[in-house]
Amino acid sequence: MNPVVASITYRAMLGRKRIWLLAALPLALLAIAVLLRVFGGGDESTAVTLMQTFAIGTILPLLGLIAGTGVIAPEIEDGTIIHLLSKPIGRPTIIFTKFVVAASLMAAFSVVPTFLAAYLLIGTEAGIATGFAVGVLFAGIAYAAVFLLVGVLTKHAVVVGVSYALIWEGAIGGYVPGARKLSIQQWAQSLADQLSSSPFLKTDVALSFAVPAMVIVTVGAVIWAGQRLRGLSLTGDE
Amino acid sequence: MSSPPTGVIHDIGYRHYDGVRLSRGYAATALALNSLRGVFGLGRTARSKIIPFLIAAVMLLPAVVSIAVMALLKQQAVGYSEYAVTMQAVLALFLAAQSPYLVAPDLRFRVLPLYLSRPLKVLDYVAAKFVALVIALFLLMAVPLTLIYIGELLVELETPVKHAEYFSSMGGAVIFAVVLASIGLALASFTPRRGLGVASVIAFYMFTLAASAVFFGVLMSEGQDPAAKWSILLNPFFLVDAVQVNLFGTEPTNGEGYPPGLGPAAITLLVVALALGALFLRYRKAASS
Repeated sequence: MNPVVASITYRAMLGRKRIWLLAALPLALLAIAVLLRVFGGGDESTAVTLMQTFAIGTILPLLGLIAGTGVIAPEIEDGTIIHLLSKPIGRPTIIFTKFVVAASLMAAFSVVPTFLAAYLLIGTEAGIATGFAVGVLFAGIAYAAVFLLVGVLTKHAVVVGVSYALIWEGAIGGYVPGARKLSIQQWAQSLADQLSSSPFLKTDVALSFAVPAMVIVTVGAVIWAGQRLRGLSLTGDE
Repeated sequence: MSSPPTGVIHDIGYRHYDGVRLSRGYAATALALNSLRGVFGLGRTARSKIIPFLIAAVMLLPAVVSIAVMALLKQQAVGYSEYAVTMQAVLALFLAAQSPYLVAPDLRFRVLPLYLSRPLKVLDYVAAKFVALVIALFLLMAVPLTLIYIGELLVELETPVKHAEYFSSMGGAVIFAVVLASIGLALASFTPRRGLGVASVIAFYMFTLAASAVFFGVLMSEGQDPAAKWSILLNPFFLVDAVQVNLFGTEPTNGEGYPPGLGPAAITLLVVALALGALFLRYRKAASS
Protein backbone atom coordinates (compact mmCIF):
# COMPACT_ATOMS: atom_id res chain seq x y z
CA MET A 1 0.00 0.00 0.00
CA ASN A 2 1.29 3.41 -0.91
CA PRO A 3 -0.87 6.24 0.48
CA VAL A 4 0.26 8.81 -2.07
CA VAL A 5 -0.58 6.59 -5.03
CA ALA A 6 -3.89 5.77 -3.37
CA SER A 7 -4.82 9.43 -2.86
CA ILE A 8 -3.91 10.31 -6.45
CA THR A 9 -6.01 7.42 -7.73
CA TYR A 10 -8.97 8.43 -5.57
CA ARG A 11 -8.75 11.96 -6.91
CA ALA A 12 -8.62 10.72 -10.51
CA MET A 13 -11.60 8.44 -9.94
CA LEU A 14 -13.84 10.82 -8.04
CA GLY A 15 -12.81 14.15 -9.50
CA ARG A 16 -13.70 13.54 -13.12
CA LYS A 17 -16.87 12.67 -14.96
CA ARG A 18 -16.37 9.07 -13.93
CA ILE A 19 -18.00 9.78 -10.59
CA TRP A 20 -21.26 10.47 -12.43
CA LEU A 21 -21.17 7.01 -13.95
CA LEU A 22 -20.25 5.58 -10.56
CA ALA A 23 -23.04 7.46 -8.78
CA ALA A 24 -25.74 7.33 -11.49
CA LEU A 25 -26.11 3.56 -11.57
CA PRO A 26 -26.63 3.05 -7.81
CA LEU A 27 -29.03 6.00 -7.79
CA ALA A 28 -30.99 4.36 -10.60
CA LEU A 29 -31.16 1.16 -8.57
CA LEU A 30 -32.56 3.04 -5.59
CA ALA A 31 -35.01 4.93 -7.80
CA ILE A 32 -36.32 1.68 -9.26
CA ALA A 33 -36.67 0.18 -5.79
CA VAL A 34 -38.71 3.21 -4.70
CA LEU A 35 -40.85 3.03 -7.85
CA LEU A 36 -41.57 -0.66 -7.33
CA ARG A 37 -42.44 0.00 -3.71
CA VAL A 38 -44.81 2.82 -4.65
CA PHE A 39 -46.56 0.68 -7.26
CA GLY A 40 -47.04 -2.04 -4.69
CA GLY A 41 -44.53 -4.58 -5.92
CA GLY A 42 -42.83 -4.88 -2.56
CA ASP A 43 -42.92 -8.65 -2.21
CA GLU A 44 -40.13 -11.12 -1.82
CA SER A 45 -40.01 -12.41 -5.40
CA THR A 46 -39.83 -8.86 -6.77
CA ALA A 47 -36.96 -8.06 -4.45
CA VAL A 48 -35.07 -11.18 -5.50
CA THR A 49 -35.68 -10.41 -9.20
CA LEU A 50 -34.51 -6.83 -8.77
CA MET A 51 -31.41 -7.94 -6.91
CA GLN A 52 -30.57 -10.69 -9.39
CA THR A 53 -31.10 -8.85 -12.67
CA PHE A 54 -30.27 -5.35 -11.57
CA ALA A 55 -27.93 -5.28 -8.58
CA ILE A 56 -25.87 -8.34 -9.51
CA GLY A 57 -26.60 -8.63 -13.23
CA THR A 58 -26.12 -5.00 -14.25
CA ILE A 59 -24.80 -2.60 -11.64
CA LEU A 60 -22.11 -4.91 -10.27
CA PRO A 61 -20.28 -5.72 -13.54
CA LEU A 62 -20.63 -2.14 -14.80
CA LEU A 63 -19.26 -0.62 -11.63
CA GLY A 64 -16.53 -3.27 -11.57
CA LEU A 65 -15.67 -2.27 -15.11
CA ILE A 66 -15.58 1.46 -14.40
CA ALA A 67 -13.71 1.13 -11.11
CA GLY A 68 -11.45 -1.79 -12.07
CA THR A 69 -10.25 -0.49 -15.40
CA GLY A 70 -10.61 3.16 -14.42
CA VAL A 71 -7.90 3.07 -11.76
CA ILE A 72 -5.18 2.14 -14.24
CA ALA A 73 -6.27 1.96 -17.90
CA PRO A 74 -6.49 5.74 -18.58
CA GLU A 75 -2.99 6.22 -17.21
CA ILE A 76 -1.64 3.52 -19.51
CA GLU A 77 -3.63 4.89 -22.43
CA ASP A 78 -2.24 8.41 -22.26
CA GLY A 79 1.19 7.32 -21.09
CA THR A 80 1.25 9.15 -17.75
CA ILE A 81 1.80 5.81 -15.99
CA ILE A 82 5.47 6.26 -16.89
CA HIS A 83 5.79 8.94 -14.19
CA LEU A 84 4.46 6.48 -11.66
CA LEU A 85 6.58 3.58 -12.88
CA SER A 86 9.78 5.62 -12.74
CA LYS A 87 9.38 6.20 -9.00
CA PRO A 88 11.05 3.84 -6.54
CA ILE A 89 7.82 2.02 -5.74
CA GLY A 90 7.51 -1.69 -6.39
CA ARG A 91 5.17 -2.41 -9.27
CA PRO A 92 3.26 -5.10 -7.35
CA THR A 93 2.79 -2.42 -4.66
CA ILE A 94 1.34 -0.05 -7.24
CA ILE A 95 -1.07 -2.73 -8.45
CA PHE A 96 -2.04 -3.68 -4.91
CA THR A 97 -2.73 -0.03 -4.06
CA LYS A 98 -4.84 0.43 -7.19
CA PHE A 99 -6.70 -2.78 -6.35
CA VAL A 100 -7.49 -1.56 -2.82
CA VAL A 101 -8.79 1.73 -4.25
CA ALA A 102 -10.98 -0.05 -6.80
CA ALA A 103 -12.27 -2.53 -4.21
CA SER A 104 -13.13 0.24 -1.73
CA LEU A 105 -14.99 2.15 -4.45
CA MET A 106 -16.92 -1.01 -5.26
CA ALA A 107 -17.85 -1.41 -1.62
CA ALA A 108 -19.03 2.19 -1.34
CA PHE A 109 -20.92 2.42 -4.62
CA SER A 110 -22.41 -1.06 -4.93
CA VAL A 111 -22.78 -2.67 -1.50
CA VAL A 112 -24.52 0.25 0.24
CA PRO A 113 -27.07 0.89 -2.56
CA THR A 114 -27.75 -2.85 -2.91
CA PHE A 115 -28.54 -3.15 0.79
CA LEU A 116 -30.63 0.02 0.76
CA ALA A 117 -32.61 -1.02 -2.33
CA ALA A 118 -33.46 -4.43 -0.87
CA TYR A 119 -34.26 -2.85 2.49
CA LEU A 120 -36.58 -0.30 0.83
CA LEU A 121 -38.48 -3.10 -0.87
CA ILE A 122 -38.91 -5.68 1.88
CA GLY A 123 -37.00 -4.59 4.95
CA THR A 124 -34.90 -7.32 6.50
CA GLU A 125 -37.27 -10.11 5.50
CA ALA A 126 -35.66 -13.51 4.76
CA GLY A 127 -32.19 -12.01 5.01
CA ILE A 128 -32.32 -10.89 1.40
CA ALA A 129 -30.83 -7.46 2.00
CA THR A 130 -27.87 -8.74 4.04
CA GLY A 131 -27.35 -11.76 1.81
CA PHE A 132 -27.13 -9.76 -1.39
CA ALA A 133 -25.04 -7.03 0.24
CA VAL A 134 -22.45 -9.62 1.30
CA GLY A 135 -22.59 -11.34 -2.09
CA VAL A 136 -22.13 -8.03 -3.89
CA LEU A 137 -19.25 -7.07 -1.58
CA PHE A 138 -17.15 -10.13 -2.31
CA ALA A 139 -18.10 -10.35 -5.97
CA GLY A 140 -17.29 -6.64 -6.30
CA ILE A 141 -13.80 -7.26 -4.93
CA ALA A 142 -13.32 -10.13 -7.39
CA TYR A 143 -14.58 -7.98 -10.28
CA ALA A 144 -12.25 -5.14 -9.30
CA ALA A 145 -9.26 -7.52 -9.36
CA VAL A 146 -10.20 -9.16 -12.67
CA PHE A 147 -10.93 -5.93 -14.50
CA LEU A 148 -7.77 -4.34 -13.09
CA LEU A 149 -5.86 -7.24 -14.66
CA VAL A 150 -7.70 -6.77 -17.96
CA GLY A 151 -6.85 -3.06 -17.83
CA VAL A 152 -3.15 -3.92 -17.59
CA LEU A 153 -3.31 -6.67 -20.21
CA THR A 154 -5.05 -4.86 -23.06
CA LYS A 155 -5.88 -1.41 -24.35
CA HIS A 156 -9.39 -2.52 -25.16
CA ALA A 157 -10.03 -3.30 -21.51
CA VAL A 158 -13.57 -1.98 -21.42
CA VAL A 159 -14.66 -3.89 -24.52
CA VAL A 160 -13.10 -7.13 -23.28
CA GLY A 161 -14.61 -6.70 -19.83
CA VAL A 162 -18.05 -5.97 -21.22
CA SER A 163 -17.82 -9.00 -23.50
CA TYR A 164 -17.17 -11.15 -20.46
CA ALA A 165 -20.04 -9.69 -18.46
CA LEU A 166 -22.56 -9.42 -21.30
CA ILE A 167 -21.75 -12.35 -23.60
CA TRP A 168 -20.22 -14.95 -21.27
CA GLU A 169 -22.10 -14.31 -18.03
CA GLY A 170 -25.27 -12.93 -19.62
CA ALA A 171 -25.91 -14.73 -22.89
CA ILE A 172 -23.87 -17.96 -22.77
CA GLY A 173 -24.49 -18.43 -19.05
CA GLY A 174 -28.20 -18.27 -19.81
CA TYR A 175 -28.07 -21.33 -22.09
CA VAL A 176 -25.05 -23.34 -20.97
CA PRO A 177 -25.18 -24.38 -17.32
CA GLY A 178 -21.45 -25.16 -17.25
CA ALA A 179 -20.58 -21.56 -18.12
CA ARG A 180 -22.23 -20.41 -14.90
CA LYS A 181 -19.49 -22.06 -12.87
CA LEU A 182 -17.02 -19.53 -14.21
CA SER A 183 -19.22 -16.53 -13.56
CA ILE A 184 -18.52 -14.03 -10.80
CA GLN A 185 -22.20 -13.07 -10.75
CA GLN A 186 -23.17 -16.67 -9.96
CA TRP A 187 -20.65 -16.78 -7.12
CA ALA A 188 -22.26 -13.66 -5.70
CA GLN A 189 -25.66 -15.36 -5.86
CA SER A 190 -24.31 -18.45 -4.09
CA LEU A 191 -23.10 -16.25 -1.24
CA ALA A 192 -26.43 -14.42 -1.11
CA ASP A 193 -28.30 -17.72 -1.10
CA GLN A 194 -26.27 -18.95 1.83
CA LEU A 195 -27.28 -15.98 4.00
CA SER A 196 -30.88 -15.70 2.89
CA SER A 197 -33.73 -18.11 3.50
CA SER A 198 -35.81 -16.92 0.55
CA PRO A 199 -37.33 -19.75 -1.53
CA PHE A 200 -37.29 -17.52 -4.64
CA LEU A 201 -33.51 -17.50 -4.78
CA LYS A 202 -32.05 -20.55 -6.47
CA THR A 203 -28.41 -20.91 -7.35
CA ASP A 204 -26.54 -23.33 -9.57
CA VAL A 205 -23.06 -23.07 -8.14
CA ALA A 206 -22.22 -24.70 -4.83
CA LEU A 207 -20.77 -22.49 -2.13
CA SER A 208 -17.88 -24.93 -1.70
CA PHE A 209 -16.88 -24.09 -5.26
CA ALA A 210 -17.77 -20.39 -5.28
CA VAL A 211 -15.75 -19.25 -2.27
CA PRO A 212 -12.42 -20.87 -3.20
CA ALA A 213 -12.91 -19.78 -6.82
CA MET A 214 -13.50 -16.19 -5.74
CA VAL A 215 -10.41 -16.16 -3.53
CA ILE A 216 -8.21 -17.77 -6.18
CA VAL A 217 -9.43 -15.45 -8.93
CA THR A 218 -8.97 -12.31 -6.82
CA VAL A 219 -5.51 -13.16 -5.51
CA GLY A 220 -4.39 -14.60 -8.83
CA ALA A 221 -5.54 -11.57 -10.80
CA VAL A 222 -3.78 -9.11 -8.48
CA ILE A 223 -0.53 -11.09 -8.56
CA TRP A 224 -0.64 -11.55 -12.32
CA ALA A 225 -1.36 -7.86 -12.85
CA GLY A 226 1.60 -6.99 -10.64
CA GLN A 227 3.89 -9.29 -12.61
CA ARG A 228 2.51 -7.97 -15.88
CA LEU A 229 3.16 -4.36 -14.87
CA ARG A 230 6.82 -5.19 -14.24
CA GLY A 231 7.25 -5.87 -17.91
CA LEU A 232 4.81 -3.32 -19.29
CA SER A 233 5.79 -1.88 -22.65
CA LEU A 234 4.32 1.46 -23.60
CA THR A 235 3.31 1.52 -27.23
CA GLY A 236 2.02 4.56 -29.04
CA ASP A 237 -1.59 5.32 -29.71
CA GLU A 238 -2.89 3.75 -32.89
CA MET B 1 30.73 53.07 -42.83
CA SER B 2 27.67 50.99 -43.36
CA SER B 3 26.93 49.10 -46.54
CA PRO B 4 23.58 49.65 -48.26
CA PRO B 5 20.93 47.05 -47.46
CA THR B 6 21.22 44.02 -49.64
CA GLY B 7 17.99 42.15 -48.89
CA VAL B 8 16.40 40.35 -51.82
CA ILE B 9 13.01 38.78 -52.20
CA HIS B 10 13.56 35.40 -53.79
CA ASP B 11 11.00 33.88 -56.08
CA ILE B 12 10.57 30.49 -54.49
CA GLY B 13 8.15 29.38 -57.13
CA TYR B 14 4.95 29.50 -55.12
CA ARG B 15 1.98 28.72 -57.31
CA HIS B 16 -1.68 29.19 -56.82
CA TYR B 17 -3.98 26.25 -56.95
CA ASP B 18 -5.83 26.45 -60.25
CA GLY B 19 -7.58 23.10 -60.16
CA VAL B 20 -11.21 22.37 -59.45
CA ARG B 21 -12.29 23.23 -55.92
CA LEU B 22 -14.46 20.38 -54.73
CA SER B 23 -17.61 21.25 -52.91
CA ARG B 24 -18.76 21.05 -49.32
CA GLY B 25 -20.71 17.94 -50.23
CA TYR B 26 -17.57 16.25 -51.50
CA ALA B 27 -15.75 16.95 -48.24
CA ALA B 28 -18.66 15.60 -46.20
CA THR B 29 -18.87 12.47 -48.35
CA ALA B 30 -15.12 11.89 -48.03
CA LEU B 31 -15.33 12.24 -44.24
CA ALA B 32 -18.31 9.87 -44.06
CA LEU B 33 -16.55 7.27 -46.21
CA ASN B 34 -13.34 7.53 -44.20
CA SER B 35 -15.31 7.20 -40.95
CA LEU B 36 -17.19 4.17 -42.29
CA ARG B 37 -13.91 2.47 -43.19
CA GLY B 38 -12.52 3.39 -39.80
CA VAL B 39 -15.47 1.85 -37.95
CA PHE B 40 -14.47 -1.53 -39.37
CA GLY B 41 -10.78 -0.84 -38.76
CA LEU B 42 -9.96 -0.48 -42.46
CA GLY B 43 -7.03 1.87 -42.92
CA ARG B 44 -6.12 1.45 -39.25
CA THR B 45 -3.82 -0.95 -37.42
CA ALA B 46 -4.40 -4.70 -37.51
CA ARG B 47 -5.25 -4.66 -33.82
CA SER B 48 -8.16 -2.29 -34.34
CA LYS B 49 -9.64 -4.64 -36.96
CA ILE B 50 -9.99 -7.50 -34.47
CA ILE B 51 -13.06 -6.33 -32.57
CA PRO B 52 -15.24 -5.12 -35.47
CA PHE B 53 -14.50 -8.18 -37.59
CA LEU B 54 -15.04 -10.54 -34.68
CA ILE B 55 -18.41 -8.93 -34.00
CA ALA B 56 -19.34 -9.03 -37.70
CA ALA B 57 -18.47 -12.75 -37.74
CA VAL B 58 -20.65 -13.39 -34.68
CA MET B 59 -23.50 -11.52 -36.39
CA LEU B 60 -23.17 -13.81 -39.42
CA LEU B 61 -23.09 -17.00 -37.37
CA PRO B 62 -26.86 -17.49 -36.89
CA ALA B 63 -27.42 -16.77 -40.60
CA VAL B 64 -24.95 -19.48 -41.60
CA VAL B 65 -26.49 -21.92 -39.13
CA SER B 66 -29.94 -21.00 -40.42
CA ILE B 67 -28.96 -21.72 -44.03
CA ALA B 68 -27.47 -25.06 -42.99
CA VAL B 69 -30.67 -25.94 -41.14
CA MET B 70 -32.75 -24.91 -44.16
CA ALA B 71 -30.67 -27.05 -46.50
CA LEU B 72 -30.56 -30.14 -44.28
CA LEU B 73 -33.85 -30.11 -42.39
CA LYS B 74 -35.96 -28.07 -44.83
CA GLN B 75 -37.02 -25.79 -41.98
CA GLN B 76 -36.62 -22.12 -41.29
CA ALA B 77 -34.47 -21.63 -38.19
CA VAL B 78 -34.20 -17.88 -37.61
CA GLY B 79 -36.92 -15.45 -38.61
CA TYR B 80 -36.10 -12.17 -40.34
CA SER B 81 -37.77 -9.65 -38.07
CA GLU B 82 -36.41 -11.15 -34.84
CA TYR B 83 -32.78 -11.16 -35.96
CA ALA B 84 -31.77 -7.78 -34.55
CA VAL B 85 -33.55 -8.31 -31.23
CA THR B 86 -32.05 -11.77 -30.79
CA MET B 87 -28.58 -10.44 -31.49
CA GLN B 88 -29.05 -7.28 -29.43
CA ALA B 89 -26.13 -7.90 -27.06
CA VAL B 90 -23.75 -8.21 -30.03
CA LEU B 91 -25.12 -5.10 -31.71
CA ALA B 92 -24.87 -3.14 -28.46
CA LEU B 93 -21.29 -4.30 -28.02
CA PHE B 94 -20.44 -3.14 -31.54
CA LEU B 95 -22.10 0.21 -30.92
CA ALA B 96 -20.26 0.67 -27.63
CA ALA B 97 -16.90 -0.44 -29.00
CA GLN B 98 -16.97 1.56 -32.22
CA SER B 99 -18.97 4.76 -31.68
CA PRO B 100 -16.32 6.32 -29.39
CA TYR B 101 -13.78 5.79 -32.18
CA LEU B 102 -15.82 8.10 -34.41
CA VAL B 103 -16.03 10.98 -31.99
CA ALA B 104 -13.42 10.67 -29.23
CA PRO B 105 -10.05 11.13 -31.03
CA ASP B 106 -11.05 14.35 -32.81
CA LEU B 107 -12.36 15.83 -29.55
CA ARG B 108 -9.41 14.61 -27.51
CA PHE B 109 -6.72 16.00 -29.81
CA ARG B 110 -8.75 19.16 -30.49
CA VAL B 111 -8.51 18.90 -34.27
CA LEU B 112 -12.06 20.01 -34.94
CA PRO B 113 -10.92 23.50 -36.14
CA LEU B 114 -8.82 21.78 -38.81
CA TYR B 115 -11.92 20.13 -40.25
CA LEU B 116 -13.89 23.34 -39.98
CA SER B 117 -11.25 25.38 -41.82
CA ARG B 118 -12.44 23.45 -44.89
CA PRO B 119 -15.82 24.07 -46.55
CA LEU B 120 -17.18 21.61 -43.99
CA LYS B 121 -19.68 22.99 -41.45
CA VAL B 122 -20.38 21.57 -37.98
CA LEU B 123 -23.62 20.13 -39.30
CA ASP B 124 -21.78 18.35 -42.14
CA TYR B 125 -19.24 16.90 -39.74
CA VAL B 126 -21.90 15.55 -37.39
CA ALA B 127 -24.00 14.29 -40.30
CA ALA B 128 -21.00 12.52 -41.88
CA LYS B 129 -20.15 10.72 -38.63
CA PHE B 130 -23.79 9.82 -38.06
CA VAL B 131 -24.31 8.49 -41.59
CA ALA B 132 -21.13 6.44 -41.32
CA LEU B 133 -22.29 4.72 -38.14
CA VAL B 134 -25.81 4.21 -39.51
CA ILE B 135 -24.42 2.51 -42.63
CA ALA B 136 -22.06 0.38 -40.53
CA LEU B 137 -24.86 -0.82 -38.25
CA PHE B 138 -27.18 -1.37 -41.20
CA LEU B 139 -24.58 -3.53 -42.94
CA LEU B 140 -24.12 -5.52 -39.76
CA MET B 141 -27.82 -6.45 -39.82
CA ALA B 142 -28.54 -6.41 -43.57
CA VAL B 143 -25.77 -8.78 -44.67
CA PRO B 144 -26.91 -11.75 -42.54
CA LEU B 145 -30.57 -11.06 -43.39
CA THR B 146 -29.77 -11.01 -47.09
CA LEU B 147 -27.75 -14.20 -46.72
CA ILE B 148 -30.74 -15.96 -45.15
CA TYR B 149 -32.98 -14.58 -47.91
CA ILE B 150 -30.68 -15.85 -50.66
CA GLY B 151 -30.51 -19.18 -48.85
CA GLU B 152 -34.28 -19.32 -48.70
CA LEU B 153 -34.52 -18.56 -52.41
CA LEU B 154 -32.04 -21.29 -53.32
CA VAL B 155 -33.23 -23.98 -50.94
CA GLU B 156 -36.68 -25.12 -51.96
CA LEU B 157 -38.72 -25.10 -48.78
CA GLU B 158 -42.28 -26.34 -48.65
CA THR B 159 -43.45 -23.02 -47.22
CA PRO B 160 -43.58 -20.09 -49.68
CA VAL B 161 -40.64 -17.68 -49.68
CA LYS B 162 -41.24 -14.82 -47.25
CA HIS B 163 -40.52 -11.88 -49.54
CA ALA B 164 -42.57 -9.43 -47.52
CA GLU B 165 -40.94 -10.40 -44.25
CA TYR B 166 -37.47 -9.94 -45.71
CA PHE B 167 -38.20 -6.50 -47.06
CA SER B 168 -39.94 -5.31 -43.90
CA SER B 169 -37.03 -6.57 -41.80
CA MET B 170 -34.67 -4.59 -44.03
CA GLY B 171 -36.82 -1.52 -43.36
CA GLY B 172 -36.66 -2.38 -39.67
CA ALA B 173 -32.87 -2.64 -39.92
CA VAL B 174 -32.75 0.97 -41.16
CA ILE B 175 -34.77 2.11 -38.14
CA PHE B 176 -32.59 0.05 -35.79
CA ALA B 177 -29.45 1.58 -37.31
CA VAL B 178 -30.73 5.16 -37.06
CA VAL B 179 -31.90 4.82 -33.44
CA LEU B 180 -28.79 2.99 -32.22
CA ALA B 181 -26.38 5.29 -34.04
CA SER B 182 -27.96 8.47 -32.70
CA ILE B 183 -27.96 7.19 -29.10
CA GLY B 184 -24.43 5.78 -29.34
CA LEU B 185 -22.88 8.89 -30.87
CA ALA B 186 -24.66 11.26 -28.48
CA LEU B 187 -23.47 9.32 -25.41
CA ALA B 188 -19.94 8.80 -26.71
CA SER B 189 -19.48 12.44 -27.71
CA PHE B 190 -19.73 13.65 -24.13
CA THR B 191 -16.32 12.33 -23.21
CA PRO B 192 -13.05 12.66 -25.12
CA ARG B 193 -11.79 9.42 -23.58
CA ARG B 194 -12.41 6.24 -25.54
CA GLY B 195 -12.63 3.89 -22.56
CA LEU B 196 -15.12 6.10 -20.78
CA GLY B 197 -17.16 6.44 -23.97
CA VAL B 198 -17.36 2.65 -24.34
CA ALA B 199 -18.38 2.36 -20.69
CA SER B 200 -21.13 4.96 -20.93
CA VAL B 201 -22.71 3.48 -24.07
CA ILE B 202 -22.68 -0.04 -22.65
CA ALA B 203 -23.89 1.20 -19.27
CA PHE B 204 -26.85 2.84 -21.00
CA TYR B 205 -27.69 -0.38 -22.84
CA MET B 206 -27.32 -2.68 -19.84
CA PHE B 207 -29.30 -0.29 -17.68
CA THR B 208 -32.23 -0.11 -20.09
CA LEU B 209 -32.06 -3.87 -20.64
CA ALA B 210 -32.30 -4.64 -16.92
CA ALA B 211 -34.82 -1.91 -16.14
CA SER B 212 -37.20 -3.02 -18.91
CA ALA B 213 -36.86 -6.66 -17.82
CA VAL B 214 -37.56 -5.89 -14.14
CA PHE B 215 -40.54 -3.61 -14.80
CA PHE B 216 -41.97 -5.96 -17.44
CA GLY B 217 -41.67 -8.96 -15.13
CA VAL B 218 -43.12 -7.25 -12.07
CA LEU B 219 -45.99 -5.52 -13.89
CA MET B 220 -46.91 -8.69 -15.79
CA SER B 221 -47.01 -10.73 -12.59
CA GLU B 222 -49.36 -8.13 -11.11
CA GLY B 223 -51.65 -8.39 -14.12
CA GLN B 224 -51.06 -4.83 -15.35
CA ASP B 225 -50.47 -5.93 -18.94
CA PRO B 226 -50.76 -2.55 -20.74
CA ALA B 227 -48.31 -0.89 -18.35
CA ALA B 228 -45.95 -3.85 -18.69
CA LYS B 229 -46.04 -3.55 -22.47
CA TRP B 230 -45.15 0.13 -22.25
CA SER B 231 -42.34 -0.50 -19.77
CA ILE B 232 -40.55 -2.99 -22.01
CA LEU B 233 -40.07 -0.15 -24.51
CA LEU B 234 -37.37 1.21 -22.18
CA ASN B 235 -35.01 -1.08 -24.03
CA PRO B 236 -34.25 0.60 -27.38
CA PHE B 237 -34.24 -2.74 -29.18
CA PHE B 238 -37.79 -3.52 -28.09
CA LEU B 239 -38.80 0.06 -28.86
CA VAL B 240 -37.71 -0.32 -32.47
CA ASP B 241 -39.21 -3.81 -32.62
CA ALA B 242 -42.53 -2.27 -31.52
CA VAL B 243 -42.28 0.28 -34.33
CA GLN B 244 -41.48 -2.55 -36.72
CA VAL B 245 -44.47 -4.55 -35.53
CA ASN B 246 -46.89 -1.62 -35.78
CA LEU B 247 -45.51 -0.37 -39.08
CA PHE B 248 -44.86 -3.55 -41.06
CA GLY B 249 -47.04 -6.03 -39.18
CA THR B 250 -44.20 -8.39 -38.27
CA GLU B 251 -44.35 -10.84 -35.37
CA PRO B 252 -43.48 -9.31 -31.97
CA THR B 253 -40.25 -10.76 -30.60
CA ASN B 254 -41.03 -10.39 -26.91
CA GLY B 255 -43.86 -12.95 -27.16
CA GLU B 256 -46.42 -10.65 -25.52
CA GLY B 257 -46.95 -7.89 -28.05
CA TYR B 258 -46.45 -4.15 -27.79
CA PRO B 259 -48.71 -1.16 -27.25
CA PRO B 260 -50.56 -0.62 -30.55
CA GLY B 261 -50.82 2.62 -32.45
CA LEU B 262 -48.34 5.36 -33.15
CA GLY B 263 -47.04 5.75 -29.58
CA PRO B 264 -43.84 3.72 -30.00
CA ALA B 265 -43.06 5.43 -33.30
CA ALA B 266 -43.53 8.85 -31.70
CA ILE B 267 -41.21 7.90 -28.82
CA THR B 268 -38.64 6.64 -31.31
CA LEU B 269 -38.72 9.89 -33.27
CA LEU B 270 -38.42 11.87 -30.05
CA VAL B 271 -35.42 9.80 -28.88
CA VAL B 272 -33.62 10.24 -32.22
CA ALA B 273 -34.35 13.97 -32.32
CA LEU B 274 -33.16 14.47 -28.74
CA ALA B 275 -29.97 12.48 -29.30
CA LEU B 276 -29.09 14.21 -32.56
CA GLY B 277 -29.88 17.61 -31.07
CA ALA B 278 -27.59 16.92 -28.12
CA LEU B 279 -24.87 15.72 -30.50
CA PHE B 280 -25.13 18.86 -32.62
CA LEU B 281 -25.06 21.18 -29.59
CA ARG B 282 -22.04 19.29 -28.20
CA TYR B 283 -20.14 19.83 -31.43
CA ARG B 284 -21.16 23.46 -31.81
CA LYS B 285 -19.69 24.04 -28.36
CA ALA B 286 -16.56 22.00 -29.12
CA ALA B 287 -16.03 23.88 -32.38
CA SER B 288 -16.10 27.26 -30.71
CA SER B 289 -13.68 26.34 -27.92
